[in-house]
Amino acid sequence: MARQLLGAVLVLVLLAPTAGAPESPPLAIVVHRARHADLSLSELAQVYFRRKRFWDDGTPIVPLNLPAGTPLRVAFSHAVLRRSEDDLADYWNRQYFYGVLPPATLASTAAVLRYVAADPNAIGYVPLSEVDDSVTVVLHVE
Amino acid sequence: MSGSKRQSATAGRDATWQAAACMAVALLAAIVAVPAVRAADSDPTTYPRREGPEIFGRDTPIGRLEYVPGRGLQVGRTKLTIGGFATIAGERLEGGHGAVTLDNANVFLFFDPVPYVHVFSEIELSRLAEWDTDRPHAHSAPGIDVDRLYVDVGKTDLLNVRFGRFLTPIGRWNQTPADPLLWTTSDPLIIEEVFDEAVRGAMLWGTTFPHGSALSYALYGTFLDAIHHDRDADPAEHSAGARLEWASLAGWTIGASYFTSQHTHERWHHLGGVDALWRPHERVELSMEAVSGEGSQHAGHEWGLYAQGVVEVVRTLYAVGRYERFDPPEADGRTLDLFDIGITWVPRYYLRLKADYRLADHRDELSAPGLRMSFSILF
Repeated sequence: MARQLLGAVLVLVLLAPTAGAPESPPLAIVVHRARHADLSLSELAQVYFRRKRFWDDGTPIVPLNLPAGTPLRVAFSHAVLRRSEDDLADYWNRQYFYGVLPPATLASTAAVLRYVAADPNAIGYVPLSEVDDSVTVVLHVE
Repeated sequence: MSGSKRQSATAGRDATWQAAACMAVALLAAIVAVPAVRAADSDPTTYPRREGPEIFGRDTPIGRLEYVPGRGLQVGRTKLTIGGFATIAGERLEGGHGAVTLDNANVFLFFDPVPYVHVFSEIELSRLAEWDTDRPHAHSAPGIDVDRLYVDVGKTDLLNVRFGRFLTPIGRWNQTPADPLLWTTSDPLIIEEVFDEAVRGAMLWGTTFPHGSALSYALYGTFLDAIHHDRDADPAEHSAGARLEWASLAGWTIGASYFTSQHTHERWHHLGGVDALWRPHERVELSMEAVSGEGSQHAGHEWGLYAQGVVEVVRTLYAVGRYERFDPPEADGRTLDLFDIGITWVPRYYLRLKADYRLADHRDELSAPGLRMSFSILF
């Protein structure tokens, strides 16, 4: 009886709706104009997990995020990191135990563009429609 | 941190205080040496902020002080962050014993002066207060221990060097044994009873990224003397080990560990282990670890495993179940089968409230069955 109950609970949990990826415009992954980077989607994920910490030339990567809960960030997390915001908070708790903090955040996509245009080590994501010639697009995320 | 390994004594406490004093001096030096604050530092539209809800922020002559719960206090432009965690635990065991303990408060200090150097320390204030059914009054025996103190140096992802005292990289659990990161109130026996919690020496470690996954390695050895009376009851004088871990973006992590250790004038012991984590669904986490061989704490062959499942039943509330089997080295038929079932509530990412009940196939000094609860905060 207990096993049947446990099984029923598990099935209900797995069938329950999860917070799916919200509708999002196509994203552009942007870096400084002087940066020539060849990144795959999975490498980009490793950058935002802060496992991949250095560019190929040995300089440190500075990944930039948008504030938690913003639709663009949620969409980025689902599409690139394949994690929900709660999962990511748990992941960063474990990294914090080693003194590793999540990527810093900027208040808006305009701020991300300004910062990336000024810092050769930075990388960020913005809607493709907002990209201008102050930065280089290294990857598209649909 | 918790567990039977954590038995420390007053012997060597002076050395611990000296280590803490050195860190305080380093902290002061970092603050004094900081460059003047820039006005742009406090502009949220141009200056990157740390992740998380800032509940305290103030511009000061040494830069902006920012406190984010669970991510620590950033001390201006010193590159220094102060954080940690604390736990209050209670238990009511079968047989009648009960206790409530303010078991420990652990402080993190980490310092990133340049991108290629990372200094990390964890200082534990232990045995702060305890109330139990065997004694009429609250009692405490506060102490201070340096759980971890190391520096990482590396300019590539593939090769880094760690030097100092750090947690033994065997399996997953022992590498993140802080209460706010765990789903149950107690550690599995294979974590507490088999190998030393920490090693003192150096480690080469790094990560490469084949086919989008992360393949990490660690090679380490002990050759330093203890900086204080060690938390491990009788730590190995010499040890060495290796770990390989593969993490996929699809939610799989698989690891294998090898550890060899030697006490003075004794033969070397050899231990192997495997571990895995799988997230088949956003709401489900399955994990296991197994070790077999001779650990550093006892002579003789031993083996054990645990398998744990965590399911988010409703948002922020998790059901947890764990099965353990442990066969200690003494061949006296004391093989233990343990079941832990419980719930964990995570109202905020930095708070964790746990309640679980341990069922055992028989009572044993290694693991008393009963109800355990804890409240922990990552600060």
